[in-house]
Amino acid sequence: MAPSIDYHCPCLASSPAPPPPHLPSSSYSFHPLHELFFCEECDAVRCNRCVSVEVSGYYCPNCLFEVPSASVRAEKNRCARNCFMCPNCRNTLSVVPSDPPDMDDGRGSTAALNAVGEPPFFLYCNHCRWDSAEVDITFEKPTGLAAQLQKHEDSAPDSLEFERLKEHFEPFLRASSSSALAGPTPASHSHHAHVNPITAAASSALARDIPGVAKYAPHPRGRRDKGPRDEMSEYRSRVEVGGTSAMGEADVDFMRRIEEESEVAAVEQRWANSWATSLRTSDLKPLRIPLHSKKSKRCPTCRHILIKPEQKAQSVRFKIKLVAANYLPSMTVALPRPLDIVRRGARPPADDPSGTPGLHAGSTYPFQIALTNPLYDPIQVRLSVQRQIPPAVSAAAAAAATEGGATEKSRRPPFAVSLPSSAFPIAAFAEAWEYEDDEDMFGVDGDEFGLESRDGRETQGKAKSKTVGVLEKRANVTIVGGEVVIGKDARGEVKFNMLVSYTYRSDDALPEDEVRGTPSRTSKAPEMKTFSFSTAVNLGPVVPREENRMDTD
Amino acid sequence: MDAPISYPKSDYIETDTGNKVSRRATISGPQNIILGGKTVISNGAIIRGDLKRTGPGHAVVISLGRYCLVGEGCVMRPPYKTYRGNFNYYPMKIGDHVHIGAGSVVEAATIGNHVEVGKNCVIGKFTIIKDCAKIADNTIIPPNTVIPALALFSGSPGRFIEDLPESTQEMVESRTKSYYTRFQPLDR
Ligand SMILES: [Zn+2]
Ligand SMILES: [Zn+2]
Ligand SMILES: [Zn+2]
Ligand SMILES: [Zn+2]
Repeated sequence: MAPSIDYHCPCLASSPAPPPPHLPSSSYSFHPLHELFFCEECDAVRCNRCVSVEVSGYYCPNCLFEVPSASVRAEKNRCARNCFMCPNCRNTLSVVPSDPPDMDDGRGSTAALNAVGEPPFFLYCNHCRWDSAEVDITFEKPTGLAAQLQKHEDSAPDSLEFERLKEHFEPFLRASSSSALAGPTPASHSHHAHVNPITAAASSALARDIPGVAKYAPHPRGRRDKGPRDEMSEYRSRVEVGGTSAMGEADVDFMRRIEEESEVAAVEQRWANSWATSLRTSDLKPLRIPLHSKKSKRCPTCRHILIKPEQKAQSVRFKIKLVAANYLPSMTVALPRPLDIVRRGARPPADDPSGTPGLHAGSTYPFQIALTNPLYDPIQVRLSVQRQIPPAVSAAAAAAATEGGATEKSRRPPFAVSLPSSAFPIAAFAEAWEYEDDEDMFGVDGDEFGLESRDGRETQGKAKSKTVGVLEKRANVTIVGGEVVIGKDARGEVKFNMLVSYTYRSDDALPEDEVRGTPSRTSKAPEMKTFSFSTAVNLGPVVPREENRMDTD
Repeated sequence: MDAPISYPKSDYIETDTGNKVSRRATISGPQNIILGGKTVISNGAIIRGDLKRTGPGHAVVISLGRYCLVGEGCVMRPPYKTYRGNFNYYPMKIGDHVHIGAGSVVEAATIGNHVEVGKNCVIGKFTIIKDCAKIADNTIIPPNTVIPALALFSGSPGRFIEDLPESTQEMVESRTKSYYTRFQPLDR
């Protein structure tokens, strides 16, 4: 993995502190910038884990037909036209006539597009060569196949059971949705409104049937209204659970007699079913293709819309798109060629095709962070390392961090990170900066790193070494240098939390055009605001000492 | 911080509209191929503009938009089928900002804008790839597959994995533009 910087989303956590970056579970809290949203109302970052999602339209991913929501339920969320998935390999099936397809290319797919041949027709997979005639499914006409298949589906035991369950819960769902409407005022019910009635019903049923399972409550401080769960009658299933022993014996019998493993359908081919199905490959049925949906996304706190796609299914445009990349500076991190590695004649990180730089234990490495300002105003940025454990050694420089949890302390000795300690500016974004074949875009090369940098000396000041500080400014990009000292016995990855604070001019009162056009700060004293967010910087894996020695031999 | 991608100047021919075509690429039937501008055809790529519909004159067989990349060793070949007993080739149309990774074989009918196809993929005949979709490395897309907008496909056969982020268009556009900008001759 190349060095990376991911951005933290607190996901409504009460404490804004990011989790330690080296824990595997922390990966859920850090995201690439381009996957994040930004709520202007709350002045906060949002991610796919915390936004509330609403379906704004359904379509078939194969025929791209936009399915009206009204028919989605009746058609069981699957394409009701002629789209089927191969039960064996999940490829899309083709409708082919019975007369032998032209095998001119040896793959037999040519007849698929124009099924004008002789009935009966069947479904054929041009990837694995499965065909529906193998399982006795053929059609008199090459059209309306889904309707013909849905008849089978609807009489299947799992489908009947599901219908029965729906009937059972229907009165409860109606009651709970009407009480939600009549209930609290719109302002106060924001959190409760999106606990959908199905979740509530399922959780009530679970809480009743399994002792010790608490009822799902997303916000414990919410009112404990006594749901109508006690009024629900007990559900009686169509098929007695445990009454399938005869089928179990048949399965055992089948397994005893198999001659090839391909006779047994793989778990992957069966587990999408909601019902225990036959083990036999020969019983696999073609599957109607599940619909996809376009989604709107809302801020979980204030319910403002962050993402609203255009209606047309295949349009990639959005009516509303509030993404974090338009608000926060984007950052990339790179490790230039370190001098000590050059001396040893090892391969420089940039040339390594795997992108794994390999940080050697006991060495010091400079790194560079390029920050790009998306705003139409200049910003001032301050970077600092966020420590995870209380600073035991107060003498340590403000910008130095020690890494390693209590349990791993012995095996993961610390590394220390230095970042520029003072704030630095990034120029405003202007449309004119955008591209065009400008050689200067390439930035600093490994060789001219740091020392010769024109802007470098201004801000280096009291920084620990010449590598730490502002290295370059061009257009709306500022490149700063940092340094990491890796302990002699370090292992694992060099990952640390970095707090980024930037100060910008709040232009609430100004129309965008005016801000864009003039950099004038004369008319009114601009109001300055500061926004802070956390990141996880991953500089890459440490090459432990032993390997280190082998390398140099 | 993005390192330039250098090539020996003599290796590529640059057209008036900024297309860069490797001298070590095989361009058959160039009169039937359209390149939109600022598109790079890498070493060892094979583009079969010669496989055109039967009939006199020339017709567009393969068209690529702006800021495209046909990676090293790729094969771009128009799809074909036998319809009512007649064997024929059909044109292949590719939009803007489309990158095709090294070693991939493409027989698609249409590829939209802002599409990324990984390395060593096979894109089967008459495949339709909509805007902002992505095909992961080493994916096999069987013939006649439709890949919806903003979808990631991977595997053999290629299957839907997940929806791509809403900002995919901007991300892909900045990557393809940056690639073109960084793709520079060594000796100026
Ligand atoms: Zn979140
Ligand atoms: Zn369909
Ligand atoms: Zn198949
Ligand atoms: Zn909000």
